[in-house]
Amino acid sequence: MAPILTVTNLTKKFSGLVAVNDVSFSLNQGEILAVIGPNGAGKSTLFKLISSFLRPTTGKVTFEGETISGRAPHAVARKGVVRTFQEATIFKALSVRDNVLVAHHLRSRAGLAGFFLGTTRARADEAEFARSTDDILGFLGLKDLADAEAGSLPQGHLRALGIAIGLATNPKVLLLDEPFAGMNHDETMRAVQLVKGVRDRGVTVMLVEHDMPAVMKISDRIVVLNFGQKIAEGTPSEIQRNQAVIDAYLGSEDESIGI
Amino acid sequence: MEQVLVNGLYLGAQYALIALGLTLIFALMNVLNFAHGQMYVLGGFVTYTVYGQWHLPFPVALVASAVSLALIGALLEKFLFRPVIRRSKRDESTMLLAAAVAFLFDAIILLVFGEKGRGVPKILNGVLNTGTIVIPYDRILVAALAVVFIAGFMAFMQFSKPGRAMRALAQDRTAAQLMGVNVNRYSNFGFALGALLAGLVGGLLVAIVGVNSGIGGAISTKAFLMVMIGGAGVVGGAIAGGLVLGMLEAVGLTVLHAYGDITYLVIFASLMIFLAIRPNGLMGKPWG
Amino acid sequence: MMSDRLQIIGYAVFAVVMLTVVPFFTVLAGRNDYLYTFTLIALLSIASAGVWITFAIGRINIGQSAYALVGGYVSAILVATYGVSFWLSIPLAGLFAACIAVVIGLPILRLRGVYFSMVTLVSTEVARLSALALPITKGAKGMVNLPMPGPIAIGGITLVPDFATLENPRIAFYYVAIILMLITFLLVWRLMRSRIGQLFVALQQNEDLAQSAGIDIARLRVIAYAISSFLGGVAGAVFSAVSQSVYPSSFTTQDSINFMLNCFLGGLGYVFGPIVGTFVLRFGWDLLFQAQRFQLLIYAAILIGLMLVLPNGLLSLIPSRKGAKR
Repeated sequence: MAPILTVTNLTKKFSGLVAVNDVSFSLNQGEILAVIGPNGAGKSTLFKLISSFLRPTTGKVTFEGETISGRAPHAVARKGVVRTFQEATIFKALSVRDNVLVAHHLRSRAGLAGFFLGTTRARADEAEFARSTDDILGFLGLKDLADAEAGSLPQGHLRALGIAIGLATNPKVLLLDEPFAGMNHDETMRAVQLVKGVRDRGVTVMLVEHDMPAVMKISDRIVVLNFGQKIAEGTPSEIQRNQAVIDAYLGSEDESIGI
Repeated sequence: MEQVLVNGLYLGAQYALIALGLTLIFALMNVLNFAHGQMYVLGGFVTYTVYGQWHLPFPVALVASAVSLALIGALLEKFLFRPVIRRSKRDESTMLLAAAVAFLFDAIILLVFGEKGRGVPKILNGVLNTGTIVIPYDRILVAALAVVFIAGFMAFMQFSKPGRAMRALAQDRTAAQLMGVNVNRYSNFGFALGALLAGLVGGLLVAIVGVNSGIGGAISTKAFLMVMIGGAGVVGGAIAGGLVLGMLEAVGLTVLHAYGDITYLVIFASLMIFLAIRPNGLMGKPWG
Repeated sequence: MMSDRLQIIGYAVFAVVMLTVVPFFTVLAGRNDYLYTFTLIALLSIASAGVWITFAIGRINIGQSAYALVGGYVSAILVATYGVSFWLSIPLAGLFAACIAVVIGLPILRLRGVYFSMVTLVSTEVARLSALALPITKGAKGMVNLPMPGPIAIGGITLVPDFATLENPRIAFYYVAIILMLITFLLVWRLMRSRIGQLFVALQQNEDLAQSAGIDIARLRVIAYAISSFLGGVAGAVFSAVSQSVYPSSFTTQDSINFMLNCFLGGLGYVFGPIVGTFVLRFGWDLLFQAQRFQLLIYAAILIGLMLVLPNGLLSLIPSRKGAKR
């Protein structure tokens, strides 16, 4: 498996505090990789660095051989590296369908002026987006809610809509920020199936997550962070036996690793 | 040079006090109080009436200004801002409501006090002249009082129970609510306190420059500038902003005297550039 | 799409009334002053439409007066100093305002909430003070006695007569303003129904999310702001011709706030909100003239009352207009 995205010696300092310290790993085409670690380990900073919502202090992120760190987030998304957000981050006042429709924008071949004038190309784009939106909503089980105002959706559907928005961009790599946070067991299991489904559509997935059982169930490989540094990397069973990982979790008095 | 510095400090102390009230209301309720300048003018007219017309002592007049504005602030919050915040779909509504309140105050002030500028008898006579600095005693007194009020306000926010509650509220409304802070009561209290500060400065300055019904809007604009320079919603920022604007004006009016309005053009234009580079002012939190 | 059709029909009826019934009766009644009020309302609602577009991307713009002033001066200078046709000066004034908006907008549109509002508020003052200071704008005296708009002729056929030769130029100006207003709102409506409008709303809802979906938010924000300022410039240009003058105080901070109030009162969720808001506010103001010294008091009290009763605007009264959202 060839690496599609590579993180090389990534470091981020916030006014003296080192949030991410010299982290390197790579993400292989078609896998699901989870980044875990106790609270404050630097997971979300790493996540923002990869999606380019933060600029690294040193080091770089490359995607398909091209450096993406330091570029504008929308430009990175256009390359095919797309993030989702924690919690209910959606376009609240738009309908579910419009949420997904608008996220198709980076695929458009017509220009903005074309959409204003309603050119043939713009109309072709719109037709294509509508078809793809139906497909995505069907895949994520949101079809019946397509016309509902997004802000009124229950929690579980909100998360699905977040993923739908991500999928609309036709990403090569989807970065999921704590996709199972705040879910009960059943919801989590459904979401795990969903994420696997996303991978089966040919999208490489990287996720940052707290929920250990879910991570163990879903991931092909796991990267463990502690105090901003990578302390382990391997398959779920390797990570479960890794002494450094067990120590990190015991020392942090965080929730159990769920072995 | 010393003269310019003294003038700047004198102006800065007044300005800081105005900005403090505005920033407090903003920090607590995310409301940009367009009517702040009008509150200042109202405070001025109260002192004018009590001290200038009824010939009661100046301190009594100041207290009257403070109390009446605090009352007005509390009523505004309870009967206008709170319901609109609760019912509107957009955050912008409060800003527009504040603009309408500013109109209302302008109208009331004009009806009750007329267009004419009003002055009061001097509170202190005489001028301090050290050779390099010339400054009237009443200005020294007013500046000193302003500094005392600022210090008092900061101590209040730091050490009193309502002060601590309001700081918690400003930091994170939801968290403060979870911690058991009575959000409604302290929003109301904070709005009243902000209005009180505006009234107090208005009262203070009547003794120096008098009061004029039409200047509310201009005062508001200046207060916005200070808050922006320092960073919205931060006590230190309001004080810094007030001092910076006071100094800029003192220096600008001296150096660019011959050009008149150019002073303000330069100040405004540099402010726009400053904010474009440093969006949160000198010490503001991100995105206010 | 039924609601689309209803809106278009409603708008067409409104257009016909404004183009025939209103001028017929005002002329019949000999009320040139009403004609002037309508002209003003049309121009102010064009500027308000600009402010409405910045509302659509989630920015509160209190600086539209700056662009109206710029437009007024550009048109006045082009016409009076350089002898350019007034008709050509309208788009040029708009474009000039839009260019300034791009330059200023790139840095300041990164600001959100109050910070953006405050900078725009300051920009109104900067425009006023610049007009006072620059030699080309003739300082506090302003530019007065501007010539009337000249004729438009294509191939020897006069499409628009020379306004100076008209018996009643007021009615001619009325038509110019109303037609411009009708075109403006049709275009804004089209804009907001298109993907661009959807993108604007996405921006207003959540810029981070929009960005993560690959939307170039910086570019879209500048586009919205430039369109907004273009409309401000156009309104200012026509205003300078109508009043045949432009002063540093032709558009003030007060006007900037009024533009914002127009949008809000009509309803921020409705494209045609600014028209409704401007009509009601301006007419309300003029009607209250009877109240003399209580004019401002009553006006402010009514405004506050409306905000309490209808926090989402006048158009939220009409439930069937729900489709007009966005």
